[in-house]
Amino acid sequence: MQEFVYSNVEREMEVYGYDSVTKSHCRMCHGGCGVLVYTKNGRVAKIAGDPECPINHGTLCSKGIASAQLAYHPDRLTHPVKRMGPKGGGKWERISWDEALDTIAERMVRYKESFGAESIVMGYGTGRENEAVIYRFANLLGSPNVLTAGHFCYGPRIATSIITCGTNPIVDYENHPKCIMVWGNNLVISNPDCYKGEPFSVSLDEGAQLIVVDPRLTRLAARANVWLQLRPGSDAALALGMLKVIVNEGLYDKEFVENYVHGWESFVKRVNEYPLDRVEEITWVPQDKVREAARLFATIKPAAIQWGVAIEQQINCADNNRALMALMGITGNIDVPGGQVLFRTPKIRNVGRFGAHDKLPKEQAAKRLGGNRFRLAGNFAIINPKCVWDAIIEEKPYAVKMLFFISSNPVMTRANAREVYQALEQVEFMAVSDFFMTPTAELADIVLPAATWLEMDYIGDFWKRHGYILPRRKVIQVGECRSDHEMLNDLAHRVGQGEYWWDTFEGGLDYILEPLGITWQDFKKMDYIRGEVKYQKYKEKGFSTPTRKFELWSTKLEEWGYDPLPQYREMPEGPVSTPELYKEYPYVLITGMRLPGFFHTENRQVPWLRELHRDPVVEIHPDTAQKQGIKEGDWVIIESPRGKVRQRAKLSKGIDPRVVGAQHAWWFPERKDAGHGWDESNINILTDNAYETCDPAMGATNVRVLLCKIYPEINEGETT
Amino acid sequence: MRPYTLIIDHDLCCGCKTCEVACKQENDPTDGIKLIHISENGPKMVDGRLDFVFHVNVCQHCDEPPCVEACAVEAITRRDDGVVIIDYEECTGCQVCIDECPYNAIAFDPEKGLAQKCNLCYHRVDEGLLPACADNICPSHCVYFGDPDEIDMVIMEKKKKRRTV
Repeated sequence: MQEFVYSNVEREMEVYGYDSVTKSHCRMCHGGCGVLVYTKNGRVAKIAGDPECPINHGTLCSKGIASAQLAYHPDRLTHPVKRMGPKGGGKWERISWDEALDTIAERMVRYKESFGAESIVMGYGTGRENEAVIYRFANLLGSPNVLTAGHFCYGPRIATSIITCGTNPIVDYENHPKCIMVWGNNLVISNPDCYKGEPFSVSLDEGAQLIVVDPRLTRLAARANVWLQLRPGSDAALALGMLKVIVNEGLYDKEFVENYVHGWESFVKRVNEYPLDRVEEITWVPQDKVREAARLFATIKPAAIQWGVAIEQQINCADNNRALMALMGITGNIDVPGGQVLFRTPKIRNVGRFGAHDKLPKEQAAKRLGGNRFRLAGNFAIINPKCVWDAIIEEKPYAVKMLFFISSNPVMTRANAREVYQALEQVEFMAVSDFFMTPTAELADIVLPAATWLEMDYIGDFWKRHGYILPRRKVIQVGECRSDHEMLNDLAHRVGQGEYWWDTFEGGLDYILEPLGITWQDFKKMDYIRGEVKYQKYKEKGFSTPTRKFELWSTKLEEWGYDPLPQYREMPEGPVSTPELYKEYPYVLITGMRLPGFFHTENRQVPWLRELHRDPVVEIHPDTAQKQGIKEGDWVIIESPRGKVRQRAKLSKGIDPRVVGAQHAWWFPERKDAGHGWDESNINILTDNAYETCDPAMGATNVRVLLCKIYPEINEGETT
Repeated sequence: MRPYTLIIDHDLCCGCKTCEVACKQENDPTDGIKLIHISENGPKMVDGRLDFVFHVNVCQHCDEPPCVEACAVEAITRRDDGVVIIDYEECTGCQVCIDECPYNAIAFDPEKGLAQKCNLCYHRVDEGLLPACADNICPSHCVYFGDPDEIDMVIMEKKKKRRTV
C-alpha cells in the first residue's frame, strides 16, 4: 500500500510543475491562517494550508482557497478611477495614481484649513490589518474621527476587557479546555477575531464538553451537551442568572475571588437581582437548563467561553461582554492553561503605538464625534456611525466634509442603510479604496484599487491578542493595485506628514519590528514569532487595571458615569418593551446568521463562493411559515417599522416560532447598474440607529434584534 | 480488498464546505456541478432531541457499481484498486448512469454534455498525492483517505474520547 502524507509540497511541485511555493498568511477574513501559495507562469495556481502554521495546522476554509479567484476576478478594479457625472450614475474614468492621490491630498489640506481636521472622517470596515496604518494617518492629520466597525465588533471586547482585566482573554485551545461554552458564535464556519475553527474542533475531539448559547440550532448546538435557546438579546440576563447559580451554590473559585477581584460584595448583590424565575421569563430558557449549564461550566476545569460579535451588536453590548468575563473570572479560568489566557504579544511596536494615538492633540481628541455621549467608545478612539451621518446631513455638532473609506461598505453594513446612503450622497467629497465597485464605492468621487493579501508584504495578526505574528509575503502584482499601507504611506507625504512615514512601507514594517531587533527582511525568513507564554501573571503583578484587580466593579465605568456592574436592559423594541408595536410586527428578527464563503459583504462575485449560496435566505419555523402562507424557497418580504426587503424562505425547526433569522450584507455584484441591488435584500434597510437604541457606553448599534412581519412576496398580476 | 477509500466522519462535519471548494480548485467542474456536495439533514426530532447534521455526498466507488453496468459505451470503469472513473472522452452524455446511481452522486453537465462525478482525484492518487478534499484541509478533520479498516479504527477511537453528541 502506498504511503500518503499530508501537504506533500515536494511532490506537488514535481507533479504539477509549479514554479514556486510561498508561505504566506491569508487575510480573506480578519486574517490568520498560514497558507502555501503555489504559482505557475507568474500566476497563483493553487492555495493550500500550511501544515507548520500554529494557527490552522494546514487546514483552510473555502474563502482562503478561493483567494486567487478574487484576485484575478474580471470585475476587479485594477487602476484608480474618478467619477464623471452625478453620484450613482456609474460613469468612471481611469486616472493615474498621482492624479488620484494629489486630488485626495488637496481636498484633505483644504478641508483641514477651512473646517478643521475633524471634518475629515477616515474609515475601515471590519479589521483587515490596515487599522493601525489608518489610525496613524488620521491621528497625524489631527482627525479624531475614524469610523470603523469597532463600536459593535471586537472593539467592545477590547475596550471592556482592558477595563476589566487588562487585555482580551483568549481561549487556550492549545491546552484543550475540558468545557467550552460557545456563546452566540459559529466559529467552525465564521472567524471570530483571534480564533479559527480548527483548534476548537480538536479540543472537542479531545473530550471537551460543550454548552451552546444560540437562538438558532447550529450544528454546534445540535452537538452540545446543553443548548440554551435564548430569546434574542437576553444574553446579559442569562449570564447574570448563571452567575447567581454559581455564586449562591458556592461554585466559584474562592481563592481567586478573595485575592484578585474588585467589587465582590456589590457584584453578589447585583447577581441576586436575577433569580432564575425572572431569568426564565426574560430569556425563555427553562431555569433547570440555566442551572445545568451554570453547574457544568463552573465545575469542569479548565473551562472557557468562546465569544464573538453577536453579543456586541446590541444595546447590552458592553454589559454582555462584562457579564461573560465575570463568568470566566469567578470560575478561576482566567490566565490558566486551557482557560482564557491574557497572552503576550511579541515585543513589537504594537497597534496602539504604531497608531500614533499620542500624536493626536488633546483639543482635537476632545472633538471626537459622540465622544461625550459614548464615553467608553470615545476613550478607545471609537465612534458611532450615526454621529458621522448626522454631522454630514445636519452639520451637527460640526460639518463633516470628507469621507475616506478603506475596505468598508457602510451602505450594506451599518444600521439604517437609507440614512447611510443619504449621507454618502450628500457628503462633499468621498474617496474609497476597495477591490470592486461596491454600492459604497459607486457613491465616491475617487476609487482606489486595493491589493488583496496575495499582493502585499505585511506582519500578519500584528493587531491580535493571541500572541503570534506571522509574515504575509507578496506573491503577485495585479494591475496597479496597491496595499492600503503603501497607499497611505504615499498619501502621507502628499499631505505634509512625511516625516512620520517612510520611503516605502517596508520602513513601516521595520519600525514595527524594531524592538525585537530584526527587520522585515529578517522576519520574512521566519515562520512566525510568538510572545512569551506565561500563566497566572496576575499573581505577581496583579491585573493591568486601576485597582490591579479583576474588576467585576469597573472603576473606569464608574468614573465615566456608568453603572459599574453588568445589568440587563430590554431590547429597544420587542414583546416586552414595545407591546403595541409587537402586535403589528409579531416576530423577533435576528440578523446574524453566518455563511461559509462570505465575509460580510464580500465574495458574492467569486464564483466558487457564490455557488455555495445563490440567494439571500431567511430562516423561519414551519409553524410560522404555515401561519403566514409561506412555503420552502418562496421569496418573502421581511418588513420592520423602517422598511422592507426580500429574501428566500427556508423552513427550519431549529428556530423558535416567534423568531425569524435573516442573513445580512447581501448585494448583487452581477447586476451591472450602479446600485447593484443594494436596497433589495439588505437587512440594514430594516435596522434602526437612533442613539437611544445603542449601547449607552460603547455606542454599539443594535443590528441584531428587532421586530418584523414576514409574508409572501406577491408579484404583479398574482393574487393571494 | 480496496487499498484505499474516502471516508467522511459525519458526526464531525460542520458544513464549512471547504472540501467543496478544494475540489473546485483541483477539478474545476462547471459552475453548479459539485463532485463533493454538502447538504443539510434536519433539524428534526430524534429521540426527543432536535438533531441537525450535515451530509457529505460523494461517489462511493461501489464494489459493484450500477453506473458501470448502466453505461452502454463503457465510459465508466472500476479500476483494480476500486476507484470508479468516468472517461470523459468516451462519455456520450446519455445520462443513464445518473438514474442508476443509488447515492445521487453523478451530475449532468449541460455545458459539456457529460456526466460528472468524483474520480477520487486518481490523477493525484496515482502520483502519490492525496485527493484534494482529503489533503488535511478540513477544519473538523473529518475527511479521511486510506485503508478503510484503519480509518474506521481512528474514527472509533475519536468517538470514544469525545464527550459531545
